[in-house]
Amino acid sequence: MKTWPIVLTLVLVAGCGGTPTQKPAGKAEIQLWQQKFTDQEDAWYKKAVSAFNASQDKVVLKHTIVPADAWEQKMKAAQAAGKAPDIYTLNYNKVPGFARTGQIQPLDKLIAADRWAGLQKEVLGSVEYKGAKYAYPMLVEPSAVLFYRKDLFAKAGLDPNRPPATWDELVQYGKRLTTKDVSGLVTAGVAVDMAWSTWGLQWNAAGHLPISDDWSAPQAADPQYKQLLQAYQTLYKEGIMPKQPLAPYADANPMGQGKAAMMVCGSWAAGVLLSDYPKMVADIAAAPLPSFDGDATKPTATLGGWTLVVDAKSKSPQPAADFVSWLLAGDTTLLVDFFKTTRFSKYSPRDVVAQAVKNDPAAAENVWAKTIEDKIVAYAKPEPTYDFAISLAFGKAIEKALQGKDIDTALSEADAEIKSVIAKNNLAGQGS
Amino acid sequence: MRRRRDTGVALLMLGPLLVLLGIFVLWPLLHAVWISFSTWSFYEAPVFVGLENYVNVLTDEEFSASVMRGLAFSAMVVPTQVVIAFVFANLVKSVSGRVATVLKVTIYIPVVVSEVIAAIVFSLIYAYKGGLLNWFLGLLGAGEDTAWLGETATALPAVAVPAIWIGTGLASLIMLAGLLDIPEVYYECASLDGAGAWTKMTRITLPLMKNIILFLLVTGFAASLQFLVVPLVMTQGGPLDSTMLPNLFIFRHFTNDLYVGYSIAAALLLFVVLGAISAIIFRLVRSEKAVDG
Repeated sequence: MKTWPIVLTLVLVAGCGGTPTQKPAGKAEIQLWQQKFTDQEDAWYKKAVSAFNASQDKVVLKHTIVPADAWEQKMKAAQAAGKAPDIYTLNYNKVPGFARTGQIQPLDKLIAADRWAGLQKEVLGSVEYKGAKYAYPMLVEPSAVLFYRKDLFAKAGLDPNRPPATWDELVQYGKRLTTKDVSGLVTAGVAVDMAWSTWGLQWNAAGHLPISDDWSAPQAADPQYKQLLQAYQTLYKEGIMPKQPLAPYADANPMGQGKAAMMVCGSWAAGVLLSDYPKMVADIAAAPLPSFDGDATKPTATLGGWTLVVDAKSKSPQPAADFVSWLLAGDTTLLVDFFKTTRFSKYSPRDVVAQAVKNDPAAAENVWAKTIEDKIVAYAKPEPTYDFAISLAFGKAIEKALQGKDIDTALSEADAEIKSVIAKNNLAGQGS
Repeated sequence: MRRRRDTGVALLMLGPLLVLLGIFVLWPLLHAVWISFSTWSFYEAPVFVGLENYVNVLTDEEFSASVMRGLAFSAMVVPTQVVIAFVFANLVKSVSGRVATVLKVTIYIPVVVSEVIAAIVFSLIYAYKGGLLNWFLGLLGAGEDTAWLGETATALPAVAVPAIWIGTGLASLIMLAGLLDIPEVYYECASLDGAGAWTKMTRITLPLMKNIILFLLVTGFAASLQFLVVPLVMTQGGPLDSTMLPNLFIFRHFTNDLYVGYSIAAALLLFVVLGAISAIIFRLVRSEKAVDG
């Protein structure tokens, strides 16, 4: 009976409570859980943890890398047992929800005020809840960049230096680039991926997200959203995007493996392409996704990324926060090394780090960084911070359009679902 | 006096098991029922909300849709498994010992393959570009590739195939054990009376296999209705929730919701559904004690 593991795990671990871990004499032990990223990033974290442990003798920091697909499960089980890590990596969009439900603690009192100086205001805004800062920002990265193959453009008789500027062009180009072995455009194809990867396009199509700013009313039925769903429906129906995703949205491998002529992916794709497919780099260019009305100054991406947070039940909150401060708010050498390791495919929200990264002579190796920064990051919006159920409701509407369902009905169903999520979770008035 | 002593010894023997059952089954069950009446997270004190979680689950069309989908999935998986197992067991019974051993090992292999591995292997078979199935159909002259896991019409049957593949081995061996248990003399007598293969099958084999078939149906339905790993790995419940089976639905809520009351209420309701279905199958097939040979 497989229902029981879920119920039993829930209840047993809840009932057991936490037991103190064995500590080496004299030194407190604190835990860091890091979501698994690329091998290079994981290696950087390991290096950082060793350097921190060598830099002081008060605490021992234990580092655990958790695969993304096991994260929620492992974290829920640990939280239930009262054994959640002291410090962990968290996306911007989850910070307010975690703060609201008391899972993480405010860092203002634990990290000195001067350590927060020089952080971008909008980014700082997304880690705040009721006036307190609950996470320390590490990096931002735009969620949607259009990577395309210049050689395949030329082969199809398209100008490799002129990426599609409108959605009509994107569809037309996609048709011409699609062959039996190569998809014209690879992008998110399932609700859970479309839910977040289209945040920028949701802004672009309607000038707002599918929920009001104060989270009190749904706005998914706005007819402006039709063009977004229509675009996806056409891409799918015409066979321009694969009818079954070649990989999850965040995975850039289909382009590296030569299976995509155009691919929408986050800026992190650059790091993967530069590290794993160096021979392909010369043939790949980057551009912003087109705006629905052709206005290139409208957002097509959101700035997501990672922060470090301290668990609300941490028994050593100050040493935990000291590590966060040491790693992200102190000396820039280690951080600059991180952005170098990730091939300049991510951006620091801290001025002094961003400047040092920009001045690094190696920065030129990411041939797409400037386009991404000037044409995408410059107009991108911060990630929305409402419950993921809201995003998922809209993702499902796009998926319905993909599967050939009526677009108006799909949008009105998303609207109704968002209304119900607002009511069930008391979201009204929680937004800003 | 004797009986009282027997009862005492029986209770003593059962004692450890009853204690373990109490600690690991009964107490968690009662606790789960209790906390299902609360809004609850691991970081905040539970707030009593009465039947709100149950009302939320029962009025959630996605939950009822997932249960109906689970039933449709079971209806694809279980009868197919039982039929294949029955045919296979008859085949094994009719061949020589060495061939039978090879056949038994072959059909049992999927049982020891992890569900995750099976899901990955079948995902590769169903892959849209470069998948084994589309390549094979292409050889047979099929024009366009099919998105087996990408279309709502094909996704659930596509997920049912590995489920059948994984479960058939055990069902076949149980079925074979049942077949071998039928005394050969029955068939010999029937032959003397001039009964053909069909008559022997319908008058001897099937009636005597009733309890085995009932067992396979009940355990098969309970297992297939709770399938989790295969759809989780292959489709994550999509497209359009067409493979969102009940346990995957509960699992999604458990991992994504900020509060866990809803998922506990849903899990308990699924338990009720499973109990009801098992009772219905028992009633329909009408279990009897096997006639002793």
